[in-house]
Amino acid sequence: MLTLQIILDVWQRHLITMRTIEHLHMFSIALVLSILIGILVGVFIYMRPKTAEPVLNFLNIVETIPDLALIVLLLPILKLGAGPTIAACVLYSILPIARNTYTGLRGVDDQYTYVANAIGLSPRETLFKVRIPMSLPLIAGGIRIALVFCMGIVTLGGLVAAGGLGTVLQNGIQLYQKDAILVAGIWTGILAVFLDGFAGMIEKKLQERYGTW
Amino acid sequence: MVQNMQTKRLFERIDSIKLKGVTKKYDSVYAVKDLDLEIYGGELLILIGPSGSGKTTTLRMINRMIEQDSGSVTINDIDTKDVDPVRLRRNIGYVIQNIGLFPHMTIGENIGLVPKIEGWNKKEIKYKVKELLAFVSLSPDMFMDRYPKQLSGGQQQRVGLARAMAMDPPLFLMDEPFGALDPILRKQLQKEFLKVKSEINRTIVFVTHDIEEALILGDRIAIMDQAELVQVGAPEELIFNPANEMVADIVDNQRKFKHMDTLKVKDLMSQYDDEYTFEASMKSFDAIEEMTKRDLENAFVFDGHELLGQITMVNLMKCRLSDKRIMDVAGPVKVFHPYDSVAFALSELKRSGETLGLVINSKRPVGILVSDEVLLKLI
Repeated sequence: MLTLQIILDVWQRHLITMRTIEHLHMFSIALVLSILIGILVGVFIYMRPKTAEPVLNFLNIVETIPDLALIVLLLPILKLGAGPTIAACVLYSILPIARNTYTGLRGVDDQYTYVANAIGLSPRETLFKVRIPMSLPLIAGGIRIALVFCMGIVTLGGLVAAGGLGTVLQNGIQLYQKDAILVAGIWTGILAVFLDGFAGMIEKKLQERYGTW
Repeated sequence: MVQNMQTKRLFERIDSIKLKGVTKKYDSVYAVKDLDLEIYGGELLILIGPSGSGKTTTLRMINRMIEQDSGSVTINDIDTKDVDPVRLRRNIGYVIQNIGLFPHMTIGENIGLVPKIEGWNKKEIKYKVKELLAFVSLSPDMFMDRYPKQLSGGQQQRVGLARAMAMDPPLFLMDEPFGALDPILRKQLQKEFLKVKSEINRTIVFVTHDIEEALILGDRIAIMDQAELVQVGAPEELIFNPANEMVADIVDNQRKFKHMDTLKVKDLMSQYDDEYTFEASMKSFDAIEEMTKRDLENAFVFDGHELLGQITMVNLMKCRLSDKRIMDVAGPVKVFHPYDSVAFALSELKRSGETLGLVINSKRPVGILVSDEVLLKLI
């Protein structure tokens, strides 16, 4: 049975505060990179529709590689540490964000782009003032999926000395400390649910503000 | 008034727009065939015809939303082909039937969009937006920060007009701007638009399929059929010298008035709906909200069963004293009996300069008679 005493004890012994900070640090870097690259890829394949299918197919293939295998594959290139974990997060997260960005941009009702065009907006201005803002709810949906991916993969990073809460789990397994596994596992779960809830809230706000359907 | 523009103005005013031998084909079907048409500076030219006649295509070739296959469009002798289309369109106000206000921008942002892109500063934009909203009879403070979906259809259409006017363009293209509105609202906006037209004194090309609208608004009317221009001229010219049967059919309203004497008000009135009834003690601010919600431009004020007068959205907006009761701002209204003759009712309306009257039978409102709608029903 987990008592408060045990939890505090495990928390201190395994430096969970520090591990949480490490964890969130890796997670935020991964997420920010994913958002940047994902949206860029989405906008790119929207502007060059011929590239859309091959790019999305390629990303789908990346998506099918098991996450642990992907991290291991990246090890020789990026060395031990946070590198492979962050890279794996990004590789996984590009697909949902890019795909939602692409779908969102294409889905904007023709009447709005027609009007934008007719009142004298250039294609670039139409993209930035009309298409992207009106796609924000969908893009946010993609980011939310990526967020959940990243949370999971960052935790796996503990296996390859990336630090973070995965390390605590890993140590717990190695030393057979049930309490450490439980505390770190539950704590990681709480963090994930909390972050997802937060992202959901932002998504809802965007939907109210920019959504048309 | 502040007026700066990054992209230099193409023209300050329109001297003439010339379409010469303009042709547009889709596959092997002509949308517009060898069209020659001159639009004079300062006039309102109506393009009218059945659907598929090429009127909208013609309009869209003026701002290059559609490119012609052959022939030329020149504005003040500048060939539109030689001008960057984005720059061309910023010099032309454009209003369409489905308005297309951007749902993610407030009313103020919608109107101020092009000025913002043109690099006006915040103060200039705000000033212009307020001026334009007031011009189209919408209270700036009340509407500036709202989103399009919070507005009624009529209010959105006014915002659409204000947006088209943002850059103070010398030319307007209007594609059935009142087409989606109900008849009462449409008449109201047409009436206001006439006033706007005389105030802004710009060149306007206006597409419609409603001949009444064409006769009310147009300085000249161009009739199109099957991709070709059939006849163009002032309304009287078309009525007295129609080029062919089809033109005569479209404009001939002799026929329509034949049975007027035998018709009664009850035959041509619109059914009264309780949503037009407003309680006398209501505050005018609340009345505006309520009318917006019900998508009304006109309503009638009752104290119990006693009719006190009518209120219009425009008047309510103008008086702006939100705590006034609507009984104090209500204006007079013409009242008819269902068995009055239509001819009598119409001449009464015409004399008082009003467009609608209330039909009352034994103290209960039963219908609304809209003068221009009567004409439509007679066709």
